[in-house]
Amino acid sequence: MGSIRFDKVDKVFGPKTGGMKVLEGIDLVIGEKEFVAIVGPSGCGKTTCLRMVAGFEAPSAGSVSVNGREITSPGPDRAVVFQQFALFPWKTVRENIDLGLRNKRLPRSERSDRIAGALKLMNLESHAEAFPHQLSGGMQQRVAIARAYVLDPEVLLMDEPFGALDAQTRVVMQEELVRLARRNPRTVLFITHAVEEAVYLADRVAIMTRRPGRIKEVLDVKPVRLAENWDRLARIEDVMDLESFVHLRTQIWRSLREEKGPHGV
Amino acid sequence: MAVLVALWFLLTTLTGTIGGGRFPSPGEFWASLLQISGKGYAGATLLSHAWHSTTLVVMGFLVAIGTGVPLGLWMGWSRRAEALMNPIFLFIRPIPPLAWIPLAILWLGLGDAAKIMVIWFAAFVPSVINAFTGVRTIDRPVLEAAAMLGTPRWRLVQEVILPAALPMIFTGLRLSLQAAWTTLVAAELVGALVGVGFVLNVAQQDIYPGMILVGMVTVGVLGWATTWLLGHAERRALAWNVAAGA
Amino acid sequence: MNGARLTIGQGVAWSFLGIALFLGLWTSLSVSGLVPRQFLPTPMETAARFLSLFTSPFAGATLPVHLASSFRRYAYGVLLAAAIGVPLGLLMGWFRLLDDIVSPIFDGLRFIAPIAWVPFAALWFGTGIGGPVMIIFAGAFPPCLINAYRGARFVEPRFIEAARMLGTSDLRMIREILLPSAVPSIIAGLRVAAGLGWQSLVGAELIVAAAGVGFMMVQAQASVQTTTVMSGMIAIGLVGMLIDVLLRQGEAWLRRRRGLEA
Repeated sequence: MGSIRFDKVDKVFGPKTGGMKVLEGIDLVIGEKEFVAIVGPSGCGKTTCLRMVAGFEAPSAGSVSVNGREITSPGPDRAVVFQQFALFPWKTVRENIDLGLRNKRLPRSERSDRIAGALKLMNLESHAEAFPHQLSGGMQQRVAIARAYVLDPEVLLMDEPFGALDAQTRVVMQEELVRLARRNPRTVLFITHAVEEAVYLADRVAIMTRRPGRIKEVLDVKPVRLAENWDRLARIEDVMDLESFVHLRTQIWRSLREEKGPHGV
Repeated sequence: MAVLVALWFLLTTLTGTIGGGRFPSPGEFWASLLQISGKGYAGATLLSHAWHSTTLVVMGFLVAIGTGVPLGLWMGWSRRAEALMNPIFLFIRPIPPLAWIPLAILWLGLGDAAKIMVIWFAAFVPSVINAFTGVRTIDRPVLEAAAMLGTPRWRLVQEVILPAALPMIFTGLRLSLQAAWTTLVAAELVGALVGVGFVLNVAQQDIYPGMILVGMVTVGVLGWATTWLLGHAERRALAWNVAAGA
Repeated sequence: MNGARLTIGQGVAWSFLGIALFLGLWTSLSVSGLVPRQFLPTPMETAARFLSLFTSPFAGATLPVHLASSFRRYAYGVLLAAAIGVPLGLLMGWFRLLDDIVSPIFDGLRFIAPIAWVPFAALWFGTGIGGPVMIIFAGAFPPCLINAYRGARFVEPRFIEAARMLGTSDLRMIREILLPSAVPSIIAGLRVAAGLGWQSLVGAELIVAAAGVGFMMVQAQASVQTTTVMSGMIAIGLVGMLIDVLLRQGEAWLRRRRGLEA
């Protein structure tokens, strides 16, 4: 399993053409099997943080490492779930999930076992041979999560995975992800701008400032969740009614509001 | 369609509004069709003229897409390849395919090789451009997902880039096919010994409107049939696509 | 990841390399005698011939004179196609009956390559100006018609509903609602038509004409003057490019103007 470490990371876009500093002095350690959410105003660079762990972007200064190895390129040890799903529309659900396993050169029998497991985990068994466009948005995102989970990655990177879903579907997916994460813990970096989602899902929530993005504070949710035993409640709205939840949420909102501009944008 | 034929009959045969010698009547058209199908015209029967032309179009088309699509994919993928090829392309592209005909005849004579060359040039450009655009317009997350899954280079080309660019590639192929037919007919009109364009050429010299119309209809039918086949292939290849599968 | 981006310097360097390779290959093929010099002259010889054609006539005229006569036919053909195709397309987009009558005829004719009209064009209008103009017309007409038709047919229904609600007559509807909202589509169609018209012109002149650049090329081919054939190709390419650039500018200008008005 894996841990993620940001060490004094700066990121400047277009350094040759004047440059825009999007991240400044990011220091964050995500422990093994820990679920950390980053929240922040839009454009604060939170997605860039995730993209650096994925290997799509390189830091301008400092380093990002997983298990002590500095990241140089994308790879299946760091699976990504994209906001826009990014499924391959010409591949069936099964083929989409299979590609990463084939790239790892796993034998056929093991692949089909793992695919079966992933399909079952995400309730996709009856859609294995469907093409993505035949599925609803929520189902497509299940496929994307299955495609990431099946690789058994060291870390799981989720970039606003529920941002493109409608409100009802989002709630179902959030509840399902909680069940998945509690039963089957992974090291997760979760990017979102939805405060409730972050509090509900994460062990810790990192709050970022406006551009250039810095980590303003990190809130521990896990001790509260365990003390108040949130997991006894199956429904998100029941958890969101708890005083302890409301308290944390309000704390984050206040912190974020200070970050909004003079016009409240 | 029936109305059209009736109107045609009315204008030519019944009222004679369109005088003989300018446009054939249905009777003349039929007689010409029988003549060329049976004992032949311009040196061969309609079937062998049509077969010859179709073979040339298909061959030129295949050579063009066999070279054009890979080049377009490569230029789409590699900025270096794009920078390398683009100036040459900008230079060649504005020259209409038909303008290659005199050069092709000069180089290769009136035979099949010259025809294949001009068809190749005509069908090449749309293949390259559309394959190129197809690669350049692939959604970035799709490519990132492939990278994230650790997809090796060759598999990436085969299973991600090619299928992602395929809808655009087919758009290009349709244009290529159209260009192939236009160019072939023109090339055969300019100089040939057999083929549908040659039929048109001989009929024009003989001032034989019935046969001219037979030639034109044949060109239309062949163009339609090959386009239909390509569309069929496209529907099969793009069954996964929302737009094509619907 | 998608091919690494190049700096401007790198891009220019690779482009120069590409041109150098192209011209180098061409030159070495002809100088080495691998291809007979007569059939593949060097780039320099071709360029020299291109320039000399501006002053010394071939096939009855200098290159600019040939170009002028080509362009005159071209302009007639394209303008005629636009003048008939655009209004007809708009009317078809509005009057269902007309659509039902014209569309089947048009669909039937669509698969006949414009160039296949050559024999009838020669028969009906001769080889002077009428024949070539008809072939250019055959090439340029379909995009004019189709784009005007699509533009009018797929106009936002709420515009039509709003105009109806205001009691707009048919004629006024076409002029003040359909036409303006179809303009972008029509302009795009005209650009395609201009390109196809230019292509058809070349074909027409290769087969039926007694003057023009295409005619010049056929004559040069008959007397095995490869440099002259290539000069014709260059001239055709340059003019075609110029037409496209001008139309793109016009399109951009129109878009800007509409953008400001909107």
